[in-house]
Amino acid sequence: MTWESTFPNRRERAVEWPLWIGVFGLMLIGAAFIFSATGSADAAAGRPWWRYRVMSQIVAYVLGLGVVAGLCVIDYARLARWSLVAYWISVALLVAVALFGVSRLGAKRWIDLGPMQFQPSELAKLAFLFALANFLARPPGELNSPALFAKALGMALIPFLLILKQPDLGSALVFMPVALAMMFAAGVPRRFLLRFLGSGALVAVLLLVDVMFAPPGWKFIKLEEYQKHRLLVYFGLDFAPKGATPSERLAARAEQEKKSYNVKQSLISVGSGGLAGKGWGEGTQSALGYLPRAVAHNDFIFSVIAEERGFLGSLTVLTLYAVVLFSGIKIASQARDRLGRLIAVGVVTLLFTHIFVNIGMNIRMVPVTGIPLPLLSAGGTSVLCSLIAIGILQNIHLHRRHY
Amino acid sequence: MLIFDQLNKGDQPLRILAWGLVAGLLLLLGGLWKVQVLSGAQYRERQETQSFRTVRVPALRGKILDRFGREFAGNTPRYRLDLYLDELRPQFAAEYDVRRAALVARKSATNAPAQDTFWAWVGRGFRKARTTPRLNIREIDQLSRDSRFATVSNTIAEVGRRLRLPLTLSEQALHDHYISKRALPLPIIPNCTPEQVALITEQSWNLPGVELERVPIRRYPHSHLASHVVGHLRRDDDYNDEEGRFDYRMRDFRGAMGLEAAFDRELRGQAGARSILVNSAGYRHRQGEEVIAEPQPGLNLITTLDLDLQIATEKALGSVAGDERGAVVVMDPKNGDVLAMASAPDFDPSEFLDGVTAQRWTNFFLAEPATPMINRATYGQYAPGSTFKIIDAIALLESGVDPEATYRVEPDPSTPGKGRYMLGKRSIRDTAPPGDYDFRRAFIRSSNSYFIDHGLRLGWERLIGWGANFGLGQRTGIRLNEETGGDFPTMDTVRERGWTAGNLANVSIGQEITLTPLQLAVAVSAVANGGKVFWPRLVDRLEPESPLSETPAVRVQPGQVRTEIRAKARNFDLVRTAMRDDVLDSEGTGKAARLSDFDICGKTGTAEIKGFGRKDKVTWFASFAPFEAPRYVVIVMVESGASGGGTCAPVARQIYEFLRNREQGRTAPLAGLGGGQ
Repeated sequence: MTWESTFPNRRERAVEWPLWIGVFGLMLIGAAFIFSATGSADAAAGRPWWRYRVMSQIVAYVLGLGVVAGLCVIDYARLARWSLVAYWISVALLVAVALFGVSRLGAKRWIDLGPMQFQPSELAKLAFLFALANFLARPPGELNSPALFAKALGMALIPFLLILKQPDLGSALVFMPVALAMMFAAGVPRRFLLRFLGSGALVAVLLLVDVMFAPPGWKFIKLEEYQKHRLLVYFGLDFAPKGATPSERLAARAEQEKKSYNVKQSLISVGSGGLAGKGWGEGTQSALGYLPRAVAHNDFIFSVIAEERGFLGSLTVLTLYAVVLFSGIKIASQARDRLGRLIAVGVVTLLFTHIFVNIGMNIRMVPVTGIPLPLLSAGGTSVLCSLIAIGILQNIHLHRRHY
Repeated sequence: MLIFDQLNKGDQPLRILAWGLVAGLLLLLGGLWKVQVLSGAQYRERQETQSFRTVRVPALRGKILDRFGREFAGNTPRYRLDLYLDELRPQFAAEYDVRRAALVARKSATNAPAQDTFWAWVGRGFRKARTTPRLNIREIDQLSRDSRFATVSNTIAEVGRRLRLPLTLSEQALHDHYISKRALPLPIIPNCTPEQVALITEQSWNLPGVELERVPIRRYPHSHLASHVVGHLRRDDDYNDEEGRFDYRMRDFRGAMGLEAAFDRELRGQAGARSILVNSAGYRHRQGEEVIAEPQPGLNLITTLDLDLQIATEKALGSVAGDERGAVVVMDPKNGDVLAMASAPDFDPSEFLDGVTAQRWTNFFLAEPATPMINRATYGQYAPGSTFKIIDAIALLESGVDPEATYRVEPDPSTPGKGRYMLGKRSIRDTAPPGDYDFRRAFIRSSNSYFIDHGLRLGWERLIGWGANFGLGQRTGIRLNEETGGDFPTMDTVRERGWTAGNLANVSIGQEITLTPLQLAVAVSAVANGGKVFWPRLVDRLEPESPLSETPAVRVQPGQVRTEIRAKARNFDLVRTAMRDDVLDSEGTGKAARLSDFDICGKTGTAEIKGFGRKDKVTWFASFAPFEAPRYVVIVMVESGASGGGTCAPVARQIYEFLRNREQGRTAPLAGLGGGQ
């Protein structure tokens, strides 16, 4: 199989260039700013250059690109046949993480694989996406059945609950927009979706009210203390319950100061960048440790970019993401079948949700969650999954005429 | 365009999704615009507040110089050994880990061991794994506090071992420094000796965080010399004169006495500011220091003093036998410039730089009767005794007393060979023998009877008027904070105190009034120069050290006349001649001041006072020279001296001898020009 035989008309492109320009641009930015956030600390710790944290990110990039190249050889339709298997494997892994996982910061999200640690929830998102696309790719007429809709929701619910149990509310919630967008694009009747959305919103509001305002005896749901605090921080509410004694109030105030610290510092980082930024490597927030070093290069990498490159840097990052996302929409619209189209929609929504929640959290538009920024945040699992997702887009593009 | 194409093309669900993406991205962009552009300045300010600390940097203090530019007070580098806590942080962390492990081990040992059953294992899998006991915040704080102290005291002990110096640091001192000055270095040795500096710089020192810092410190090259005029400094780190608010202040001093205090503002200059970048733990960040404002050095103060003469003067005053307490003022009667001013006992101003213990204050600085901190030349009030007769003489000659007319002094039956004056039933002793006295003889024999008799006839009003003319009872306006105007009555106080003729008799011979040696110097200058009462001048000018500085020099106008005494030139001549004869005449009381080739004119005085519960004496010699064209006024006052002629006149003679020899080119300057030691 040669490119010529696949595409007799040479004006038809095999590679979706805008997508890859966006991806490479983001990877360059990612490497540059992970180095900016961690390089001096790595140097101070006396690590050899190949042990710098930016190096593991670059390795993840290269590895991911290799996986992408491998994936493109096989038609996505053939891959999708294995999606249900992948789905159940990932569910099994989520169960395994609950049993044998490594605990970090009070949550079990990782599986230890010797030299590296692996976060199954990232893989679960992808596997779920494929499985759902495969499930919804049936003829549109069948989708009018409520039973089918319930089945689709059930597919989302299993990993959702397992991840919620880790506990990782943020990652769990990512499943919802992805599922909704895919069902919407597949042509599931709007009334189903609106009802689901409406009841979901109602439950969310009730839960929020319950979590934040209900007296202790009336709480139906037990959020982890830190989750509750994150929500309180986001809504700017007092930690101290009504009728607290002054000393309790004081303790709550100190606790609040501590809990809102990351958000406060990321806002200061982003804001102090101003229009043009302080210059690469000149940001002080992470160098001086105000932006905690543990999170500056992963969940809060956007703060580092925004501090050092200002609004113009933020604009550049958003533009690159826009190019990637809209390439995805374009690929969806050109896909040869419903399966390709649904996978592309799922990938775009997944990426967008991550981008929106992560950047939004950096500027306090969204409560703090542990959701990484695709391709920019340091983290091997996240980079690999993002690249696989984008590789699938390329796969759909490559095989758009290949019946 | 890629984006716009997708918004219009394709099927409806994809278009809606594309619009959703655009809306989401624009929402983010709007949020970023608000945070980064609209509120950018505000966040930048918050970032600076949390990561910068400003340090006040004192300016180099101006020098105090003599009229030829020789140093009374200057600056010298001092070497301070500092410990930078931020460089010890890896060691703090290592120490912390060790101590934490030990504490955890201790706590685990006391905790009940976990049950090792299958169900416990499964249960643990679902719950958060907690294999080690958690430490609470207080334990963590205590651990880090202990590990800091252990690390720092180890380092300090190592410094002490290498320098063979017992160095200690209290836990509380370190904690206080950690709480209030974490970003600043901790001083270990405030003042390293040259030997220590050599050890630190030569030896392969290699102690992390320990650095030698060069800081300027006040230096008084002649230590005790003119200490009362120069004054001293006091440690003052809270000096708050500048607009800016500072997080930290570097060690600074404030003038506490003398010229150091009176011209503190001019000498201290304008403090500068430095900013330190601090990390989230509050430690200094390396390479994060920046100068915000350079300090502006203080102005040099050029006094009217003459360093050589000052040395000669203090040497002369020191030649008085015993624990001398006294003062000398040397003034130029042509313009009122103070050429030398000495007060004994004196002190070493550098002693105050490192602080003085309360014990030292009570046992030495404030100990009576020595009271070395009192500038006796300007702040000591003394009865002038017979030296007051100089002013008395002008007063009575001006009121028409015939200098040729004689007055008979009665013999004192109780002391043969001495006279007395009977005022009513009170007998006032006279050291002059009985006999006939004209003005000249009465002056040089210092006859009390003559001056009491004439003083009583003169009356309160005229005597007070003449005294006030010469500036008695008022401050001379010398630019020192330590000045008193003495006690000289006005007509009001005479009435208030109900003073009678008896008091008038006392005042006529310089009792019951007080003045300072400086006031007497001004008055005698007026007699010497024919009636000009000057504002005495101690400061010639204030000028910047660097000729390139934009600050202009400020000069104090010399020879400013305060009062012009309207008295006949003939009467001034009569008094001056009488003063010359007091030294020249074999009968004169001041003959001990006599010097060849130099016509010294003087008047002795011995006042009896009640001091410290016993009878005491203040002895004086008030003089000027040379007779023909007076260039110097020398006032010598010694507390508890034997007599003016016996104790004070020889002191004056030594000073004049120095002046005469110098004028005749017989002596090399005692202190080389250029401010050396």
